[in-house]
Amino acid sequence: MAASLILRNVSWALSTLLELVLLFFLVRRRFYRSHPAFCLYVIVAILQSAVVAASYMSFGTDSRQSYDVGWGSQAMVIAVRWGAIMEISRKTFADYSGIGAMVSRILLGLAACVLVYSIASAKTKWELVVLNADRSTELGIATFIVALFVFVRYYRVPMPDLERLLAIGFCLYSCFAVLNDSIYENWRRAAGNLWDYLDLLTFTATLLLWISAVRSYSEIPVATSPATLSPEDYGELSQKLNSRLYLLNHRLNRLFRSEDPRP
Amino acid sequence: MSSPLLFFTIAVVFLVLMLLWAVRPPKRVLLSVDDVLNALSEKRHYARLPQILQSLRPEDTDFLHGKGHDELAARLRRERQHIALRYLNYLQDEYQLLLEASRILAKIAPEVSPMDELDRFRLNVRFLLNCRYLRFRLWFGLQPWDIFGILSDMEGDMTLQLEMATSRIGERAAISSEPPLFLEDRRRDPE
Repeated sequence: MAASLILRNVSWALSTLLELVLLFFLVRRRFYRSHPAFCLYVIVAILQSAVVAASYMSFGTDSRQSYDVGWGSQAMVIAVRWGAIMEISRKTFADYSGIGAMVSRILLGLAACVLVYSIASAKTKWELVVLNADRSTELGIATFIVALFVFVRYYRVPMPDLERLLAIGFCLYSCFAVLNDSIYENWRRAAGNLWDYLDLLTFTATLLLWISAVRSYSEIPVATSPATLSPEDYGELSQKLNSRLYLLNHRLNRLFRSEDPRP
Repeated sequence: MSSPLLFFTIAVVFLVLMLLWAVRPPKRVLLSVDDVLNALSEKRHYARLPQILQSLRPEDTDFLHGKGHDELAARLRRERQHIALRYLNYLQDEYQLLLEASRILAKIAPEVSPMDELDRFRLNVRFLLNCRYLRFRLWFGLQPWDIFGILSDMEGDMTLQLEMATSRIGERAAISSEPPLFLEDRRRDPE
């Protein structure tokens, strides 16, 4: 028991240290301009660590007050995390207004469905309702990100490495949180501090991934030619494509309207 | 293991597998708008469909049977089946090209209809399934008439959708003073 408590505290300290390192790199590289929601998420996560630590010291780990502070701050962290994920989605589809609008509607609808369904299907006890809500939200986040990647792949949308790694980090952490919550629901007496430790271990791995992504991020823009496409060129391009397709379609129709396949 | 734990474990495993599939680089080479236009201007494989269908008809080798060249007729049919399978691959490549073109159009379109995109996705799934089924029939020497017709119709449907999409974009381009960012970026970045 004491060993697992020490392990949890060490992991906690390590993850908080890594959060501070990540924040340092975010500030140094001025990510608060390009990724304000993600920076806010890191700040809120650091504040959560501080508030929960203070609560544990003041009220003890098993007190009702610590429970309220822990889960209350967790709700705030998850809300801010949603903001960071939406920011990644928005940045990914920023240049594609048509599919961007459609994808964001579908993703939000999908995440809401997953949230509702997982809450309804859990059949959990009343005292575990907060845990179940947390698990459902994490599952919604993971589904949102996986669907985002599926759309990115389907439409061949170029996704910068930074956004890709941030999203992978969020997704893997959420997936593990779902499993961790489920394990806790089943074996909460046996899990104890190990549950916290596993959660912190996953978060530490995610932080390492994010630090690596932020550190390797290059601000040097890709060398590009200043040429732009005028509306006239665009209209010409569209007409060209249109005429090719018309020809293609005409040939196909002529071929298949005739029942006899003989040449 | 309780049922919620089982449900959530399966859900997480599925999500992780989907994530691994989605983040890996696509097999196909990414096409630019110009690549698609160039490819569309090339001669289409489906134009050879009547000849392919004719070559697979039993009547086409009847004269060999009539003259007692059964072995030659069987060999001829086998070779023609191989050719039909290769033709099927080309047909599939063409369809994928059209699909790629439709994705590019969806990317540059200022508005995208989810129902159109869903229809196209369903069309794609059906096309792939029919391709597999047709391959299976050809391997086992079964007659492929109906499925070949379905596949070609689907390719025609895709072309029609592309035509409608380009018409909409053309109309938008005519009234818009600003070109889409996508095209500007593509111009700037040769990749």
